[in-house]
Order: sequence, then structure tokens, then C-alpha cells
Amino acid sequence: MSGLRHLGASVAFTVAAGAGAAALSNDYYLRIAFMMCIYYLCGAGMNVLVGYAGQKSLGQAGLFAAGAYGVALLTIRTSMDPWLALVLAAVISGACGVVIALPSLRVKGPYLAMVTLAFGIVVEKVVSEWTDVFGGASGLFGIRSMTWGGVPLTMLQWVWLALAISLLTHLLIRNLVSGRIGRALLSLQADEIASASVGVRVYRAKVMAFVVAAVTCGIAGALVAQQNQYINSDFITFHLSIFILLMVLFGGVGNIYGPIVGAVLLTVIDSALSSWPAVQHFAYGALLLFALFVMPGGVMGVITPWLARRTKRIAEPAPCSDIALRFSDDSTGELLSVQGISKSYGGVKPAQDVSFRLQRGQVYALIGPNGAGKTTMINMLTGLVRPDSGQITFAGRDAVGMPPHTICSLGMGRTFQNLRLFGELSVLDNVMLGRHSRMRGGFLSSLLALPLARREEALARSRSMDLLGLVDLAHLAHAPAGSLSYGLQRRVELARALATDPQLLLLDEPAAGLNPQETSELGDLLLRISRMGLTILMVEHHMDLVMRISDRVMVLDYGVKIAEGSPAQVQANPRVIEAYLGSDAALPSVETIAA
Amino acid sequence: MSNTMEVALFQALLSGLAVGSAYALVALGFSVTFTTTKTLNFSHGEFVSAGAFIGMSVLLLAVGKPLTSTSFGSVQPGAMVQLIALLVTLALMGAIGWLLFVLGVRPFARRPGMAWVMSTLGFGVILQSIGLAIWGPKPVVVPGPLGDDVIRLAGIGVRPQELLMLGVAVVVMLVFDHVMRRTMVGKAMRAVAHNPGVASLMGINVSMMMVGAFVVSSALAGLSGFMLAPIAQASLFMGLAVGLKGFSAAMIGGLNNARGCVIGGFLLGVLESFVNLWSAQWREVAVFVLVILVLAFRPNGLFGSHTVEKV
Repeated sequence: MSGLRHLGASVAFTVAAGAGAAALSNDYYLRIAFMMCIYYLCGAGMNVLVGYAGQKSLGQAGLFAAGAYGVALLTIRTSMDPWLALVLAAVISGACGVVIALPSLRVKGPYLAMVTLAFGIVVEKVVSEWTDVFGGASGLFGIRSMTWGGVPLTMLQWVWLALAISLLTHLLIRNLVSGRIGRALLSLQADEIASASVGVRVYRAKVMAFVVAAVTCGIAGALVAQQNQYINSDFITFHLSIFILLMVLFGGVGNIYGPIVGAVLLTVIDSALSSWPAVQHFAYGALLLFALFVMPGGVMGVITPWLARRTKRIAEPAPCSDIALRFSDDSTGELLSVQGISKSYGGVKPAQDVSFRLQRGQVYALIGPNGAGKTTMINMLTGLVRPDSGQITFAGRDAVGMPPHTICSLGMGRTFQNLRLFGELSVLDNVMLGRHSRMRGGFLSSLLALPLARREEALARSRSMDLLGLVDLAHLAHAPAGSLSYGLQRRVELARALATDPQLLLLDEPAAGLNPQETSELGDLLLRISRMGLTILMVEHHMDLVMRISDRVMVLDYGVKIAEGSPAQVQANPRVIEAYLGSDAALPSVETIAA
Repeated sequence: MSNTMEVALFQALLSGLAVGSAYALVALGFSVTFTTTKTLNFSHGEFVSAGAFIGMSVLLLAVGKPLTSTSFGSVQPGAMVQLIALLVTLALMGAIGWLLFVLGVRPFARRPGMAWVMSTLGFGVILQSIGLAIWGPKPVVVPGPLGDDVIRLAGIGVRPQELLMLGVAVVVMLVFDHVMRRTMVGKAMRAVAHNPGVASLMGINVSMMMVGAFVVSSALAGLSGFMLAPIAQASLFMGLAVGLKGFSAAMIGGLNNARGCVIGGFLLGVLESFVNLWSAQWREVAVFVLVILVLAFRPNGLFGSHTVEKV
């Protein structure tokens, strides 16, 4: 759905829901409607975290508490305006979101999930046991809430307020996830290493997702506290965290409508079973397993294929010719210099005092037997592995110790030996992710869908289509990258690396798994790319390809550079022959050559 | 004056070690499933509670009281009954662990997005609500096999259950360590942990090893619940904190190092016990802070080995 139509439909839906609520005379039903909005708010942010960034938070109750107790203490202890208190509560819970996200710098996966769980439990303990401040089970009374013209809000007005905030949240989150940021979050979920290597600031993106989830959850908590004018520790339970997670899963994870469906359905189930707490809990557990077993995509995952596919593909601009694709000016000189670089893993030494220089515009090949340290060299150049000693100077900057995303934005693009595509994303999205570091639009411009963000999105799209044209994949732009054959996936990865506007392209065995015909085509393609002003360093075992396209060849063996020169020189070098074929009495010994 | 201080410290050390042995058993349980299947039971805490309640129920039935009694009164189950209760607990918990693996882990282990985190959580929620339906939320005082009279040891008072728990846990851990390092089964388990594909090519029944890991892990949780019940009280909510601290212990020691997990458990128990001397409220926070510190400086735990992801 296009932006304007979606906006219109969302507003119409919200107004209809508001009118429907006005028709409810009963406060009990109004309360249910209010809670639907509250749970939607919790779920909407959680969906960004779980569905897009692929992180688990099992401690959302702690963030709910941050908002609720934040607003409670602010309005009870100060004479602050309740609206301002609501905003500040959102800020407080956002700060708590940063606190939960901090460990994600060091730990991943189940560890992080357990840390979030621990956060929820600790908050629960603190609010129930630190009674001087938080009132424990007897709670905090006298929370001041918003007024309308000096009169406290009626229950119907509370529903309207919650609906309005939900609408706003929905629109903002849709903006956020539909462009550059959403793509970056999805890439994070698929493969963090590949994500960093195309220039996504992995850690920052994770923190952002945690903060979004924290803020919406905090607002929800604050609204509940203000509506009740009371909060106690019974609100903050582990079951609330599970409930929020369940809602997102049940509605449809990674679908912006999922939390709406989840919140509506689960709030109804929740109130229907509220007289039997044991049954209620059993139902949550059972629904969680049911959703995982039967509908991993949630309700939306079941519905979406049934809806008529009315979405029209945006007509893609035709790929342009090579002339428009220039990677660097025709400057010459040294692009990369590696000085005495060493790395060891215990007894294995994949690099021992290796030095080399790369001149702009040339094609280099790095060859050597298996285990010679070629991939490690590429990993050190791109910042994935930190060398033990030595210097790497890239485009005049000292690159040792720089994170991968910075090195990427300096102009180093790479492919991986064992393909690291974002399999579930489309081919076009994969390539557009390569544009990530070249797009300026940040969090705010994405959130508000500012013209800058839209313009950049269109530019990135057309540039990516050009690159897909270059590797002859424009017709597959909308296919999921993971569905392509191996050889085609290699080309997608190449296009993605090119999309980062590299000056130096590092290719880790680009021809691995290709048949002779494909290898030869790859050779042609690389030569074309090289003529566009790009410097290439490739690790490769196909000697015909290496000898055909490289200007210079370097040979590594057990982490030591044993030869460098033109393809012909290297082919004739006895040390190289020895490294590949073993020493032979007929050949002169190494010492003789050195002498 | 300094003498009472020493006694208090020594007493805290001893009860810290006792509770720490429960954490160590739970941490060991996490380690076993993580090393063999790369998954964890996120409702391990509920399994601890389940162990306590299954043991308690067998004891209640043996002394002729209904399942839902909230107290044993003056009845003291004999040693034989206690032993039977323990064996039943271990067997049932093992069976539940099997069920968890088949229903909650195996279908999701290979799926992206850590679906198994949610499925094991859901399993735990179901387990807890079944427990609530049978026993209700009230805690129950469970008699220990050695009686509940405090023993005096060099001036400090110790509950016999604390000593028993410590002893049993140490024996279990030594046996476990021996099995993992010295027997064929242990080698097979470590092989599966290292590379399930290759292990299966070598003729190891990988699926059976994974089931075994969950059975052992759940039985360990059951054991720790069973032993804890006379020290604390049996409560369906006791497990959450124990499970969480067991996991903290595993993180401190290193999830992929079983010995490290055990040391982490004892460390955490003692720390908690000492903090408790000073302030009960900050106990939980202190544990959490320790975990964060360890993660910040040694993300793989104090004894865990670093795993390099191949690029």
C-alpha cells in the first residue's frame, strides 16, 4: 500500500474504532478496549525488536514498570504536568532499554535473552521489595492523570487517547521499518557479520531496536498507571513479559499489522478467562506452543496469502549502461599497504610478518594451498579479525582496530567464501543493503519519513537496479536471495559488495562452486568491473581464472608470503611449485634460490 | 565480638555453599543441554519447582495424606520413603525432560530466530499452570530425611539438610565429571556437542544423545528442587529464582564448561549468602551486577572457552 493510502486507511480504521468505542456504554467493555490499545503499544515496539532485529526480550514487564513507576513518582513527588510526566516516563523507559541493550555488545542469542529475563525479574523484585520508594504490594496512590479542560478524562476519552497514541505509533513504526532502518534490522537478524561488512552499525541498530521496544512499552505502562491513578507490584510479573511476547508471535512476527491482531485477540481471550487464573496461564502456554507449531507466521502469516495480492510492484527503472557506473576517479598510486602483519591462533599462524602493497586500478590475486591464511588476511583487512601486530593503511588511514562498518564506509567491499546473503530478503533488498553506509538518512528522518529519506530510498533503488543489471540479475530483483542457485547467489553477493561504492573489492573465492562456463563469465565480469576504476584483490583456487585476469599474484603458504609477481613469474617460481606440489629432489632447494 | 562475627561469616559460607550446590546442579543442567544441542530449557526453573512438588507428593502419599495437603504435621517420612520419593522424582523429571525435547525443542532447534526459547518458555508456563491446578499457590513445609533439628558444629548451627544437599551435589557432580571425561558415553556426548553431523557418521546415535541430555538436565533440576524443598519451602514459584541464578552461575562459570558451571554455582551461592548478611534487598541486584561484570570482561565466562565463528 502506498504511503498516502495507508495513512488514510489507518486514520479511517482508528476513527471507526473510536466511534465504535463511543457506542459502548459499559465501562467494562471500554476498559477492554483501552487494554487492547495498551497491549498493542507494548507489542508494536516489541515487534520491531523481535520481528525485525531478531532479538528476544523476555523482560518487557521491567520496561512497563519503568514507565508506570516513572510517571507515578513524577506526578506524586513533583507538581509536574501529567502530560510532561508521560513524555518523561517514555524517556526513562527508553534509558532502561539502553541498559538492557548494553550486554548485547558482548553476548548474543540465548545469553542475551536470559539477561533480559533477569532484568525483568530484578525489576519485579525491586518494585515489590523496595517498599520505601515503590510501595511494594500496597502500591502508590494518587498518581495524577491528564485532564481535558480541567475535567478528568472519562473512560471513553481514555480509549480515544490510547487509540490516538496507538495510531501515531503505528504510523511512525511503519515509516521506520519500511526503509533503510528496517532493512538494516532485518539484515541483523539474518547475519550480523555480513551486516557489518556492508556497513550496518550492528550494535547501534540493536540498541535502537531495544529502545523502540522500551519506549512503547514504557508509554503503555505510564498510561495504565495514569488511568488507574494507582500502581502496585502486582502489575509487574513475568507473565506480563510472556504475554507481550506471545501477543507479537500470535499476531504475526515481523508484520506491522501483527501486533494489532495479537493485541485484539489476546485481550479478548484474557478477559474471557480472567476468572480462572490457572486456566488463563495454561492458555498462554498452550497458545504459545500452538502458534509456534501451527502458524510460525502468526495469524497474519495465515491471512496474508489469502488476501488478494493487490500490491503492485513498483516499476523498476531500466538498468543503465556501464558509463554511469564509475567506482572511483582515475587517480593512481597506492591504495592499501600492509606492513608486517601477524596473527596466530595458538600454534596455528595464519599470518607471519606479511607485507604487501596494492596500487589503484590493478587486479591482484592471493593464492596458496588450503590453510595458508588467505581468508584470515581478508578478515584482517576488513576488520573482522584483529591482527596481533602490524599495520594496515587503507586510503591513507590506519585501518587496524577499526570496526568492519567503518572500514566498509572507507571504501572496502567484500564477498564471503561461504556465501553470506540475507536469504529471506529479496535480491534487490540485499543489494540495497549495500547502499546502507552511503545513505545519510538517520533514525529521525526514517521515523518521520522526511523527504530526504524518501529521495535517498529512490536513489538507492535505482543504483541497486543498475548494479543488478551489471551482474545480469535485474529480472530476479524480487526473488528471495536464498531461492537462487549457487552461482547466481555469488553474483548477488558481488552486486551487494559493489553497492557499497568500494574502492577496493575483496573477493573470497568468487569462483568456488562455479562450472567452467560460469567461471569464464565471471572472469569477463571482473575485468569489466576492473575497467570501471576498481581495485580488486581476490582469493582464488581456479588458476586459469587467476592467471587470466590478475595483474599481480601473491602466494601465501602457512601464513608466510613466499612469492609475488606477475602471473608468469609466480608460475615459474620453484617455492610456489614446492608449496603446491611438495618438494622434489629434481628441483633446486629453497636455500639455493634464496642464495 | 570478633568471634560472633567469624561464626556469622562461617555460617553464611556454609549455607551459601549449600544453596550454591543447588545452583550448581541447575547450571550443570543448562550446560549439558547447551553443549549437546545448542539449546537451553528456558523454563528450567519451573522444572526445579516440579521436582520439589513431585517429591513432596510422593512423601505425602507415602504417609497417607492427600496430595493437596499443605503440611506434613508431625509425621516424619522414613529414610526409605525419602529414597523412593527421590527416585520417583528423578524418573518423572527425566520423562518430562524427554517430553520437553520431543515437543518443545526438536521441532524448533534448527529454526531461525530461536523459536526454541519461546517453545520451552511455553512448556514451562503449561507445567506451572498444571501445578497450580493440582496444588494451588500455597507453599508447603517439607520435612528433610535427616530431621530438621539444627546441628551444632564448632559453635555454628547447621541444618542437616544443608549438609546433605552439599554432599549429594558434590557426589553427583563428581560422577558426572567422571562419566563425561572417562567413559564412552561421555566421549559420544562431547562428540555430538562438537559436531553432530560427524558424530552421527561415526555411528553415534545423535538423537538419543540429545534426548539423554534433556533427560539428565531435567533430572538434575528435579534433584535440586527435591533437595531444596526442606531448606526453603516447596513452592511453585521457588523455581524461577533458582533457575535464573543457575543460569547466572552457568554464565559466570562458562556455559560450555561443566566444571566452570559448578564452580560458578558455588561462587554465586556464597556471594549471595554474604550479601544477605549485609542487606537482603540487594541480594538479587548483586547477583545481576556480578553477571553483567563477568559478561563485560569475560563474555564466555570465567572458565568457558571462546568459540570462533568461521567466516
